[in-house]
Amino acid sequence: MHSLVEPNAWVALKMPAGNLRVLEIAPNTTISLGKYGSFPSNLIIHRPYHLTYELQDKQAPETFNRLRIVPASELYSDILSSGEVSSSTGEATPVSEDAENAVPTGIEYSLVDPDSGAVVATTNRAELDASARQTLTMEEIEELKKDGTDSGKDLIAKLMLSHTAIEQKTQYSLAKYKLLKTKKYIRRFSVLPLDVALLDHWLVEEKDPTRVMDMREEMIGLLGCWANVHFGGEERCKTDVLTTGGQDEVEQEHGQDQEEQEPEQSTGRWLVVDDTGGLLVAAMAERMGVLYQSEKDKAIEAQRKARLSKQRPHEPGSQPTAATDGQSDPAIKPAVGQVESEIKVEIEDQDPTRPQSPETNKKQYNGEGRQRWNDLHVPFSQTNTLTLIHANSQPNLSTLRYYDFDITNPSQGQTHPLAKHLMTLSWLQLLEPQLDSTYNSELPTATPDELKTWKGTKRGTYHRKRRRWAKVRHTIDSTRQGEFSGLVVASSMDPVSIMRHTVPLLAGGAPIAIYSPSVEPLTKLADCYSVARRAAWVAHPPEEAIGKSIEELEQWAGTDEFPLNPSLVLGASIQTSRVRKWQVLPGRTHPVMTSRGGAEGYVFTAWRVKPAEGKVEARGKARPKKRKAEEVDQVGQDGTGS
Amino acid sequence: MSSISPFLDSGLVTTPDTLALVHLSRDNIQPVYLREGSGSVDGYAEGAVINTRFGSFPHSTLINKPWGSQIRASIVDTGSRGRKKKVEAEDNDTEGTGAGSGAGAGAGPAKDLKTASSGFIHLLPPTPELWTTSLPHRTQVVYTPDYSYILHRIRARPGMHIIEAGAGSGSFTHASVRAVYNGHPRTTEDRRGKVWSFEFNEERYHKMKQEIEGHRLDELVQMTHRDVYNDGFLVDGQSPEAECVFLDLPAPWRALPHLARRKPTPSQLASGGLDCLGGSDSEWKSPLRADRTVYLCTFSPCIEQVTKTVEIMRRLGWMDIETVEVAHRRINVVREKIGLNMPTERGVNQVPGSVAEALRKLKEVECRSKEFHSQDQDTDTDTKINEDEEALNEAGQGTEDAPMAKPWTAGRLVHRTEAELKTHTSYLTFAILPQEWSEEQEAAAFEKWPCGKENKVIGSLDKEARKQEKREMLQGKKRKKPQNDASADAEDAGAGPALKRSKAT
Repeated sequence: MHSLVEPNAWVALKMPAGNLRVLEIAPNTTISLGKYGSFPSNLIIHRPYHLTYELQDKQAPETFNRLRIVPASELYSDILSSGEVSSSTGEATPVSEDAENAVPTGIEYSLVDPDSGAVVATTNRAELDASARQTLTMEEIEELKKDGTDSGKDLIAKLMLSHTAIEQKTQYSLAKYKLLKTKKYIRRFSVLPLDVALLDHWLVEEKDPTRVMDMREEMIGLLGCWANVHFGGEERCKTDVLTTGGQDEVEQEHGQDQEEQEPEQSTGRWLVVDDTGGLLVAAMAERMGVLYQSEKDKAIEAQRKARLSKQRPHEPGSQPTAATDGQSDPAIKPAVGQVESEIKVEIEDQDPTRPQSPETNKKQYNGEGRQRWNDLHVPFSQTNTLTLIHANSQPNLSTLRYYDFDITNPSQGQTHPLAKHLMTLSWLQLLEPQLDSTYNSELPTATPDELKTWKGTKRGTYHRKRRRWAKVRHTIDSTRQGEFSGLVVASSMDPVSIMRHTVPLLAGGAPIAIYSPSVEPLTKLADCYSVARRAAWVAHPPEEAIGKSIEELEQWAGTDEFPLNPSLVLGASIQTSRVRKWQVLPGRTHPVMTSRGGAEGYVFTAWRVKPAEGKVEARGKARPKKRKAEEVDQVGQDGTGS
Repeated sequence: MSSISPFLDSGLVTTPDTLALVHLSRDNIQPVYLREGSGSVDGYAEGAVINTRFGSFPHSTLINKPWGSQIRASIVDTGSRGRKKKVEAEDNDTEGTGAGSGAGAGAGPAKDLKTASSGFIHLLPPTPELWTTSLPHRTQVVYTPDYSYILHRIRARPGMHIIEAGAGSGSFTHASVRAVYNGHPRTTEDRRGKVWSFEFNEERYHKMKQEIEGHRLDELVQMTHRDVYNDGFLVDGQSPEAECVFLDLPAPWRALPHLARRKPTPSQLASGGLDCLGGSDSEWKSPLRADRTVYLCTFSPCIEQVTKTVEIMRRLGWMDIETVEVAHRRINVVREKIGLNMPTERGVNQVPGSVAEALRKLKEVECRSKEFHSQDQDTDTDTKINEDEEALNEAGQGTEDAPMAKPWTAGRLVHRTEAELKTHTSYLTFAILPQEWSEEQEAAAFEKWPCGKENKVIGSLDKEARKQEKREMLQGKKRKKPQNDASADAEDAGAGPALKRSKAT
């Protein structure tokens, strides 16, 4: 994450009432905060996050409102002074229920902003009818709001002064009243980075919780931990392999590049099923360190965009695709005209994965980034990857747009880390790849001479097709080979059906974490791995399973009695977690009064295991109580010791 | 390859001298450091052996196996060894196996291992979650529901530096290493994710250090034996430059003054009842990273600790202070077997599962009693009763056989919360400290991004503004089209005809 607000970054503006406004901060625009006023976006660009700003009144020659950073001491002055009063008077801080009885002194100075004229409030036991006590009329308040002087503090002070019953309010109701009015009228806000935690908070609390399956932060945390998702090793791209010799190349042509590589290559790969519009993918990518573009990459990307937009006006007649194609021609031509291995070696020398000097950068990004490679080069890393399986022909990853990544746009550069670390394939491509048209098709090939005769657009399509073919081929083949390091699921589909097809793809010991907004799908899944069923699988295996090898049983198709092979998964359990917020104020500490309901959210966790060959007898009886077990152990020890 | 901790990359198979976790049951997971070696260890001819209540497992049977493998118990002589050495066997619940080979076992070299007739375990690769379940308790442990939420909230991401004070049993340490890990530093300049862990108790510190080295995490975790209340967070005068802080201390407010960007003023501290810090302002070195927001979490079981901590946080300028508690429940899934035709098991209620079933049973009882009493009566009623009984049997047949089929599919699937609940672990108080922003920096930024030339309004617009925007957008489109077109008179005509004409030409 960046230290400062970058131009065109997605941020959230937190308003005084605690609600969030999510915005893309375009430079040279005016950001409107509705009734609170507006200010130029340039005033928050290249400023730090999390500062609290206050909208200032317009100064004469300027046409815009400047911002003032509100220091923490000012933000907390009310709370801290109220704490002091109660401690300085030597009384124990009264509890809120007793407050009305416990204030015989009559006068409290505590809750008033010292700048805006001290409002003296006496406490009284009189019943309050708060709605009828405000003497300022609606029109007057509107008028004051329009004046907008002193960031609303003026208005709040006037409101409190003109409240006829202010003297009858207790310390606490007065504080509440002021807080309420402050939230409503103070012109303050802060700028927060839109990371996954905040994005999730916004989506769940304000936007549309059902679209992200009510997945609260607790659940994201649990999923990531139980699935052991973390940085999965340094990026290793195909380039490392290419240097080993010509043989690889031939294999790469056929898309079977993985097989002869050592097994260690495949660590740090996670399998994801995500029906939350990409939120889960974003959360996992964040844990793996591939969600945010580094500052360097972002600068390169910006340069590229700037150059593209500059060049377009020069060629007004041609279409954008033609423009980029023309640009990339120098990069493609050698690949076309020469033997492919040569260009690879050439590229190897330049070490293009990690641009070292600005000069090489220029060279690459002139050629649109991706096109510096041979068409059949697989752009994906070998480690630290996410593989998403989706139910529709295209994945829904709309949430990733907040992180400047758009999977549907193949022409976006390779600078975004997700471009190298996120692979997607549909269930059809995973389970019956022979039916997938791209996978099943032959690699389009054309001789260099043919290519030369083609038009730019046709040649562009040809290369795009070849690149797509290589990508799809690689994704499907590497996924079907399995040995994934973990499985994370948040899907509206039946988890039993997901497990049937994904468990065989996991490496031994790989953790599984499945989220569901309601518990029923998960109880059904957990029941497939119940003790009774596991025991029955070993003791009285179903007819269909008899005589089959372990490998065959991994592909267990499922029966009514055994929907899943229960011996492949260990430690199935379900949990749920919910945080409860507390209000912490001097003498007024208690849990908050209301919070959001809706789906509770549950997480199923387990590990993929490899059963031993043949029949395995369990030993001993399951002992229900721990204490009992210890006693028995004690007896055993005494027996041998003496 | 072997320098990477098994917690971060376990590989695909078990290797010697790494940590493996032996899964016995959900809450009984045993950590084992796998040792290779043919000589006898601890009196075992087989080398190192672990004994569980599911049998004995020589390490040689556990090494070089794919993770997750189910391993059968071996026949190991545990009995005679205990007598010879006069040391107590750890756990001797291996009656069957001991008897099998007890007589002949001597100190013979690596003998062929025989598989026991029963007993097995599963081998799992180490993860912070499994480690948390299995670790030796030294203090209150920060469990997975808490630390997963904390790490998410304090934005512990790959590449971050995190301060952890009060290492305790080390569960949070392991979880945070995994969160911040993004490779081992190649040079001293190479800044990679790191955990700066502080522990006051000397014994715990040494145990932790040993553990961290055993788990090959010593490059990523900087252990320091320190009283952070008085001595702060600098290590050898160097700042950890942390972005995330986790305080699991009895009095977090006493550590907070050290976690400031600038030396706290005496008035800030005095009003909170804290002593002044030593050293002059110019000597002050902040343990926090200067150019990032710092996220903090404190972990305190009592609300009094929280109120005190929050007060000091407010005085020291921490923002967005929020206190929460995490309520976590584990759910047990069971099959509730209610009904008269359920198999008789322990704990199964033989009560009717529905009114119909109850009715049938009552009728049955009624019939029998009638039968009993009507033995002397005439045959009229007798046949009637028989008819009734037949009808009963017919009705009952359908429901009786089906659930009997398989005991693991019988009954209704229900879930309930586990028997023992952790209803309160601790209060988590989160806060952030934004980076400092000086007048000069602000002036420079204003210079670079001058205001007053705004061309568009974004954010929340009122209805009028939105309408205006739409109008402008439509107009813009109108203007664009004719520009591309050669004919100049298109601008005079309406949008519809103009479009048509441009297409035609």
